[in-house]
Amino acid sequence: MNTQLLTTRPEVRRSSRGAANPFRGQHRRRLLRADLLAVLFWASLAGAISLWLADGGAAGFSTPAGSFTALGIVAGLAGMDLVLLMLLLAARIPVIDRTVGHDRALEFHRKLGKPALYLLLAHGVLIAIGYGMAEGLDPVSEGVALWVLVPDMWLAYISMLLFIAVVVTSLVAVRRRFPYEFWYAIHLLTYAAVLTSLPHQFSVGSLFAEGTWQRWYWLALCIATGAALVYYRIAQPLIATFRHQLTVKRVVGVAPGVVSIEMSGLRLDQLTGSGGRFFIWRFLAPGLWWHPHPFSLSAEPVRFDAAGQGTLRITVRNLGRGSARLAALKPGTKVAIEGPYGLFSTAARSRNHVVMVGAGIGITPIRALLESTPFQPGNATVILRGHSESELYLGEEILELCRQRGATLFHLTGPRPAGVRTWLPEHSARAGHRLSSFDPRLAEADVYVCGPGAWARNVLEDARAAGVRDDQLHYERFDW
Amino acid sequence: MRTRAAVSAALASAGILIAGWQSGVHVADTGSSAASTAAGTTGTTGSSGATGSSGTSGSSGSGSTGAGSSAAGGTAGASAKAGGTYDGSVVQTRFGSVQVRITVQGGKITDVTALQLTDAERKSVQISNRAAPLLRNEVLQAQSADVQTISGATVTSDAYLSSLQAALDAANL
Ligand SMILES: Cc1cc2nc3c(=O)[nH]c(=O)nc-3n(C[C@H](O)[C@H](O)[C@H](O)COP(=O)(O)OP(=O)(O)OC[C@H]3O[C@@H](n4cnc5c(N)ncnc54)[C@H](O)[C@@H]3O)c2cc1C
Repeated sequence: MNTQLLTTRPEVRRSSRGAANPFRGQHRRRLLRADLLAVLFWASLAGAISLWLADGGAAGFSTPAGSFTALGIVAGLAGMDLVLLMLLLAARIPVIDRTVGHDRALEFHRKLGKPALYLLLAHGVLIAIGYGMAEGLDPVSEGVALWVLVPDMWLAYISMLLFIAVVVTSLVAVRRRFPYEFWYAIHLLTYAAVLTSLPHQFSVGSLFAEGTWQRWYWLALCIATGAALVYYRIAQPLIATFRHQLTVKRVVGVAPGVVSIEMSGLRLDQLTGSGGRFFIWRFLAPGLWWHPHPFSLSAEPVRFDAAGQGTLRITVRNLGRGSARLAALKPGTKVAIEGPYGLFSTAARSRNHVVMVGAGIGITPIRALLESTPFQPGNATVILRGHSESELYLGEEILELCRQRGATLFHLTGPRPAGVRTWLPEHSARAGHRLSSFDPRLAEADVYVCGPGAWARNVLEDARAAGVRDDQLHYERFDW
Repeated sequence: MRTRAAVSAALASAGILIAGWQSGVHVADTGSSAASTAAGTTGTTGSSGATGSSGTSGSSGSGSTGAGSSAAGGTAGASAKAGGTYDGSVVQTRFGSVQVRITVQGGKITDVTALQLTDAERKSVQISNRAAPLLRNEVLQAQSADVQTISGATVTSDAYLSSLQAALDAANL
């Protein structure tokens, strides 16, 4: 239909360009943390190989059999180290979340899957060849002999099968064919895979024999990883659920197929979403309780009294089996939570100026961010995109917020042009508009983008073309 | 990855690897003197290699039996009472061969000595040195090969105990 500038722009004095940037320190610290995490990642891999080097492992290369065995040991060490790093990336550790965000952590987690599996497979094959050569056996017989004769090795074989199962079911092509829960259940086997792989590491290999410092290092690594998982994925969510006692207060229709779910709870002042962050929700009703859903807050928690009693809200679009049933939630339903997670918040800010672009249900975290993230009047632009006015969810509320806070608001509606890669509606694209047309100071802004994957990629591309650097771009994905 | 991160990561990893390698070289030097030369026996794999038990008293030189002196098991019954030393079979493992010798007096095991222990890598030597005294104590207490393997030294323990069993068989105990 049209591109509409809503009259929210207040008469304000423009803050001078050189105004102090309150986000500079936070931004620097975040980049530093990101670099540190990258260094730690590589250092841990180097460390794993060093365990073996420090044990005089390099001497193994003096014979052909020894070389195979040595390579096998190195592959096993590196593979297991990657597996532990993958678990840490999935453990929802706050410092990782605050530094790169939950989605980026999981993306990286996913990228490590295949390399880890290949290293573990190489470990098995190379060791069978190396040991076999030392004993005059072919690798297959050696493999059988290892299975039958060496204690704990049969567990290691089972572990390998589990790892293969997990990685194969995680491949995008395979994953699409099964419901989320199936993939999730298989994924839980990772823990079984890691646990069954542990005994042989400590009993068969000589590297981690009792009394060696290598054994202590490796044990510490495994235990720390396990503890992080138990604490951040089990204990912390249980604590938050009990502390805040969230219950559904009411469910309000927003648009066809879209509802806002309001919840009340305790100590909501401690549960700040800080704008645009998300929780993983479990509505404890029959048939729903075992189904965890990530949803962003669409409104910052509001506090009513000194005890922190208050309400918060999510806005949900009916996208599938589970979310369809949420529209029928009864008031009083108890809610279990994990979170808050994500970096689609003020924690990611690096500049004074901010541009927020949302489409469809992706508008909801934009609404929460707009509500709470600091900016001076005139320093924010909000762009909402939908097929029609009615798909600009929470549009009224957002207009009101823009008026109050002094942000510029655009509504972009209408179908996109056929065959052109753009995030804009047809007439805007034809008029030659770009992201920079809506905000002349785009290049010095933080740009927040949330919406369907392909659409969001086009926005990000447009922003980059306008000179926005990657660390100014913030993007929340609604699909992991 | 940003340049700063890439450079620091490369430097840190290189530092860690070099440090590991340096101490590894050091370890290998001191370790090699401990590694004795393995006897060139041709035992079969695993724990089933109880071929060459020697029932005669300990005339054979240490480690040089080579499973060859499988001369006699016939006198064993008598000699068990009389006492003497009996060599177990040479058991081949991926970490080297293992062979033990028992000393018997009045039908009791009075001592167990290791003629060869796993020594393929320096670490094996270290494991063997730790496991052997523990195994010896347990065997002397149990008066049989029916003892627990030492954790972290399962391969050595298994080989040790099968060699021991062969020696016990030879001694008719
Ligand atoms: C960080 C984040 C914030 C989100 N915020 C909102 C929001 O504010 N409003 C909104 O309407 N939607 C939001 N979503 C999307 C929402 O979580 C899914 O649409 C919803 O879980 C689908 O559930 P379903 O049972 O109806 O669909 P299903 O039929 O089960 O699945 C539909 C799709 O959702 C995926 N999915 C289902 N459960 C999960 C899960 N637990 N984790 C990851 N993917 C899953 C499936 O793989 C599938 O692609 C958000 C998603 C993420 C990741």
